Amino acid sequence: MLFYSFFKSLVGKDVVVELKNDLSICGTLHSVDQYLNIKMTDISVTDPEKYPHMLSVKNCFIRGSVVRYVQLPADEVDTQLLQDAARKEAMQQKQ
Amino acid sequence: MFHFQSFEDDCTLEEEGLVEEEDEIDQFNDDTFGAGAIDDDWQEEHARLAELDEQVRDGVHGAGDASSVDLPLAGGNAHSSALPQPSSSSRLYPDTDERGGGDLAESLTRLILGSDPAIAGVGTARSDRSHLPPMLSGQAPQPSALAGQSSLLLSYQQQQQLMRRGPAPLPQINSHSIWENSMGFSPVSSGLVTQKEDKTLMSIIKEVGLPNRPPALSREEGRDLSERVPPPRSSSPVIGSPPVRAVPIGTPPKQPMSQVHNHQNNHPSAIHVRASVPLRYPPPFPERLSPNNLLSIANSPLSHPPFPAGVGPVLSQIQRAQLLNSQIGQFPRGPAPPLLQGGVGGFRPFFGPSGPRMGPHGPPLGHAPIRHNTTHLHPQHRRMLNQRMQNRGLGDHVGGRGVGDRRNRDPYSNLMTQREKEWVARIQMMQLQSTDPYLDDYYYQNYYEKMEKRQERDRDNRKEHTTKLITPQVAKLEHTYRPVQFAGSLGKLTVSSVNNPRKMIDAVVTTSSNDEEKREKQVWNKRRQILYTVEKMYSLLLEVQDFEKKFLQTPEHQRDALLEQHKTHTLQLYNSLREKEWDDRVSDEQCLMIMSVRKGKRLISRLLPFLPQPQAAAVVMGIARNLPALAKKDKQDQVLCWLVEPVTVVVQSMSSTSLTDLLQELQGSEGQLPLVLQNKFGVTLLYLILSEGERMQSSDPNCQLMDDNRWTELVFSVTRELLKVPSSALSSPLFTPPNLVSLFSRYVDRQRLELLQEKLQITALSR
Repeated sequence: MLFYSFFKSLVGKDVVVELKNDLSICGTLHSVDQYLNIKMTDISVTDPEKYPHMLSVKNCFIRGSVVRYVQLPADEVDTQLLQDAARKEAMQQKQ
Repeated sequence: MFHFQSFEDDCTLEEEGLVEEEDEIDQFNDDTFGAGAIDDDWQEEHARLAELDEQVRDGVHGAGDASSVDLPLAGGNAHSSALPQPSSSSRLYPDTDERGGGDLAESLTRLILGSDPAIAGVGTARSDRSHLPPMLSGQAPQPSALAGQSSLLLSYQQQQQLMRRGPAPLPQINSHSIWENSMGFSPVSSGLVTQKEDKTLMSIIKEVGLPNRPPALSREEGRDLSERVPPPRSSSPVIGSPPVRAVPIGTPPKQPMSQVHNHQNNHPSAIHVRASVPLRYPPPFPERLSPNNLLSIANSPLSHPPFPAGVGPVLSQIQRAQLLNSQIGQFPRGPAPPLLQGGVGGFRPFFGPSGPRMGPHGPPLGHAPIRHNTTHLHPQHRRMLNQRMQNRGLGDHVGGRGVGDRRNRDPYSNLMTQREKEWVARIQMMQLQSTDPYLDDYYYQNYYEKMEKRQERDRDNRKEHTTKLITPQVAKLEHTYRPVQFAGSLGKLTVSSVNNPRKMIDAVVTTSSNDEEKREKQVWNKRRQILYTVEKMYSLLLEVQDFEKKFLQTPEHQRDALLEQHKTHTLQLYNSLREKEWDDRVSDEQCLMIMSVRKGKRLISRLLPFLPQPQAAAVVMGIARNLPALAKKDKQDQVLCWLVEPVTVVVQSMSSTSLTDLLQELQGSEGQLPLVLQNKFGVTLLYLILSEGERMQSSDPNCQLMDDNRWTELVFSVTRELLKVPSSALSSPLFTPPNLVSLFSRYVDRQRLELLQEKLQITALSR
């Protein structure tokens, strides 16, 4: 649940999601679920000429398994806290 | 394993063949490919049985001529054309088949497979089938002999197929689910039945037909199709997990259909029904409840001869939805248009129950810019989001309205009703219930807590209270799984599932011993050792950090124990910095080691606030002592400055003697001070010490700082050094305490003071 929690804190922020099919989608993160499926609003494809079929799409739902990268705003992330969360999760797993 | 007594000797069933040759699976055995196979074509056999069945049924019911005529034909055609649906034609009466025979098989399967939840999925449908509703028993008693015969002849596998394929005529008996029972469609369907007068509809249905409609339906008028729901699951849908204790996720909500029907009554002609309702396979989700399929269902009780399969739907799903949309779509639009038109372009209704978290739904925030989302957000987060939405909403308002109009005719809406959407969302959310939300949701909660604190600090406590996020917590249930055992049996079942896995591989780890590699490893090992130590300390640190929270949560009597635990943790943390147990000094080696890693420095900086004063002072002294070495190691990372804050706190709470000691340590041996001065952190530390001394002197006239000459001497040497060192070798500190000038003025004459001021660029404003 670590990254679900992490992405929840990023809801409402602008992110760029790069998919495994090389499509990059920029938009506002609307919601996320435990599978890290992502719903985005106000999306725009970063190079629109290559993917003209996405011109009219405003919102999208992206299955979590097809995401390659999620580019985040650096100042919205607390890396120390993330590290702590990972340590806690590791401790929990051990028990 | 499951031997059925075959009344026909030459009936080659797959199961039999397998059973006989268990030891060596001869792929080219006679039974499959040789004489045995040719002799008995199982397809033929099946067809024969189908005819038998038909005759039986004809004898019983005496009606439905067309169906019975059709079916043997279908059965007959079956084996010539590679059997499109082998089981469907004759297996339209699964209930009768299973009623009689196969009891042994049934009980065995239920016993063995039913108890291991991981593999029970297959058996459940069967067991439920045996509790058939009274409606079906309205049929005349079956000639059990024949039925029994046919069922006995069936292999176990075929019966499984049968179970899956036959219609599911069971009501949701035990569904005390999150949704109410969806029984009782009769009032609704009767209302629709009046539509059968409509010629257009009938003609379409006749044309396209409803193939494979089980004739049993037409005979049992009393039965509603609303009861054709999948049997309730008694085992977890997830393979290998313990049995579901919660309510079975069975039927979806009952759809309030009245508004739909009114409309349809007005425009019956425009509605084209999707002819073939795929009732061959029990639908996983009830499409019938959506406006689209309800029509088809409602019209199916109309008696009509079944037509050959293979005719596609009249209209595609989308077209149908469009038509329906234009008529029905207006209904649930009440709350929707403001949602669509207002605010952000793009909050469609179907986004609604997305990603919510279990728990109290957030209150709908009034009007237009509603974030149609039930996520259990931190109130701070929610506030931010609303702000953002409002900002955007103001901008997009004009555009949104235009778009909203277009959206009213969205062809893709209303495929699911709102309740259905919520139902799906709730299923998802049930998985997110956590037993310990603080741990599971650590990042989110702490992130927003920190944000709150920061905002509070920035606004200087203007807020009266800090909003808190309360996450509902589910009690932890202990699931102990014991694999099924037979009493008095000699062996154990070799069923391996997720719950009781079997060891498959015996893997042994071997390390290669190579001299060169060993040396390399040693180097790496040292670093790894450091990192390992740091990580262990971190887990202790986290425990210490959480102490406060835990303290508030534990009941009174347990608090002492918790306190003790906390003390132990802290002590342990400190001990890991010391080398020898009896030596109170911080071990230089250990400290150096830890600080050589970036993580270690971070660790120390977070650790310092938690240590009691003397221990913290010892740590700081250790740092001061080894500053040159640390500075050298830090050249790459430049993260020593993380330490400034905690060190400041420590220094400010130090006694005068320890302060003097600290200054001495900082100066250390010859030549240390210049090195110190070269490093930013060093300079900062120096200034801190000096300023603290000054504060002590100025505030408390009886301060012990001047008791011995150490302090004075030290300051003298510092000033000497400061003047000696070239400006280039002097790095600027992070901040300059204001009272340095007054400090220096005590010890040096005016000329030197001015020099110092110039060099250090400290202004005289503080004067």
